Amino acid sequence: MSPKITNDLHDLLKDNIITPETAEKIKSYYSQKESGSEHKLYLVFGVLGAILIGLGVVLVFAHNWDNLSRPSKIILSFLPLLMGQFSSGYSLLKKSENNTWRESSAVFLFFAVGTTISLIAQVYNIPGDLSSFLITWMLLCLPLVYLIRSSIVSLLYLIGITYYACNTNYFSYPNAHSYYYWLLILGIVPHYIQLLRTNSQSNFTLFHNWFVSLSLLICLGTIANKNENLLYLSYMSLFTIFYFIGESSFFKNLKLKNNSYLIIGKLGILYLLLLYSFKWFWDKSIYNTISAKDTFFSTEFLTTFLLTLFAAVLYFAKNSKTKFKESSIFDFVFLTNILPFISGYEFSLVANGIVLAIGIAEIKRGITQKHLGILNFGLVIITILIACRFFDTNLSFVIRGIVFIVIGFGFFATNYIMLKNRNRNEK
Amino acid sequence: MKNKKVQVLLFILLIVVQLYVPLQMILKQEDVVKTGTEFKFQTAPVDPYDAFRGKYITLFFKEREITVKNASKWMIGETVYATIKTNEDGFAQIISISRNKPTAENCYVKSKIAFTIDQNKIALDLPFDRFYMNENSASDAEKIYRDLSLNKKDQTYALVAIKNGEAVIKDVRINEVSIKDLANKK
Repeated sequence: MSPKITNDLHDLLKDNIITPETAEKIKSYYSQKESGSEHKLYLVFGVLGAILIGLGVVLVFAHNWDNLSRPSKIILSFLPLLMGQFSSGYSLLKKSENNTWRESSAVFLFFAVGTTISLIAQVYNIPGDLSSFLITWMLLCLPLVYLIRSSIVSLLYLIGITYYACNTNYFSYPNAHSYYYWLLILGIVPHYIQLLRTNSQSNFTLFHNWFVSLSLLICLGTIANKNENLLYLSYMSLFTIFYFIGESSFFKNLKLKNNSYLIIGKLGILYLLLLYSFKWFWDKSIYNTISAKDTFFSTEFLTTFLLTLFAAVLYFAKNSKTKFKESSIFDFVFLTNILPFISGYEFSLVANGIVLAIGIAEIKRGITQKHLGILNFGLVIITILIACRFFDTNLSFVIRGIVFIVIGFGFFATNYIMLKNRNRNEK
Repeated sequence: MKNKKVQVLLFILLIVVQLYVPLQMILKQEDVVKTGTEFKFQTAPVDPYDAFRGKYITLFFKEREITVKNASKWMIGETVYATIKTNEDGFAQIISISRNKPTAENCYVKSKIAFTIDQNKIALDLPFDRFYMNENSASDAEKIYRDLSLNKKDQTYALVAIKNGEAVIKDVRINEVSIKDLANKK
């Protein structure tokens, strides 16, 4: 407890503002709160320590001690693994209620597994097939998430499988199409659901929200084969799904920074719509294959179709409660997936209209909720839309300049009026 | 309590699997080293770095090309079995490739099609291209190689043990002397 609070309590008691019981209660409240944050600190340092030691062991072994014989090298490579297994076993048996022990030992074991496999590859000069190395490593560590109940290992696993998906599909040539990622990510779903159910406000859940949504965002592109332009539509559906998840009553109660789905969903939708609003975007065909059969049976088309269907289901789930009276424009953007099949250039006009409407709706929402952040978000959307239009129109510099000055004044005026109203209400 | 027992049993099972995977890697490699046939692959080393496994020299093999009837039949990245023989100079040479495993009498390695050179020639990616070295001696090894390779009489090769399609590099040698010894002397 800080000395300032102790002094204040003393003064308040002296002046008879609080009773001695209240003073005791306040004291015990602060000491409890401090021990909670101390636990958190232990956990952070424990995990950081385990990560650093794990990585340190990797580097020491990577030196490649030439003067050691092959058998001694092999025995040494098992050392970190055995140490990790021992400490994890100890925390499972003796310290199963201690978060710091469980997380740190599991993280150490996670790195130890990777180290041992790498070292054996080093001893026998096994060439670097990074993808199969990652997949073995991750599968050997996934059970730790459930047995030792380690959320950090779950996060590391998410990073590992995302890197695996990128390595096989984006970074390698010729691209191997691997769909294992989608099976691998199912592995942490039970853990994630449990976190959301029991600990929706904890830092672990916050990190999981972000890691899961970013991992899906990065890896959806790995399905690209021949009709990669169809991926824009898949992404549009994915963003709408994220948006609906973020808007669900469960996630809406979270702080905005914890609601990765809403942030990624909304920003993603706007990014794609702005991209759609350029005429040059429609210079290419949305589907490349020659026959209709090839298009309709391509992975990209099927994925888009399923995701759009899922978005539609979520749309009904969200709006049937309010009898379709409180729909926002974001609720409908997944329908734009139909338009590119009908029109090309004309659709850029529609996209402009949608972005403009979203901007205006956000400004209106900001004003009614008296929320400066939302108001300015709406203004920023309209500003970006106008800035984008400057690139593909031949307006003179004078007109462009005047438009920007007008928007600038708009920013000042709306913020000023809102702040003034707010002050008046407070008085 | 019962739940805890199951948890401990599963954890023990996990430990066993975690130990089994690297052990099985070792056994497989040891088998190739001890009972595989040795070949000398002529090579040219350079010196890159792997964050996990340390310094290594990458080997580029001179004998990685093969003449085929129609190169367009083979896809880049496709897995093939390359049959290996020792030629008159005592170095390994790829004599044929096939999609099916060759008969047991011949030595073969599982490799991938790297690229097509022309209508009748393709290059293979052999499954052994890394030789891990001590951090301090890896760059020395590369320098030694570069100095010596100016003299065309010097022979650099990788000593590789091959068995049932698997291959393990035992050593990299310049004129019959291990590159590790050369680098350590420097």
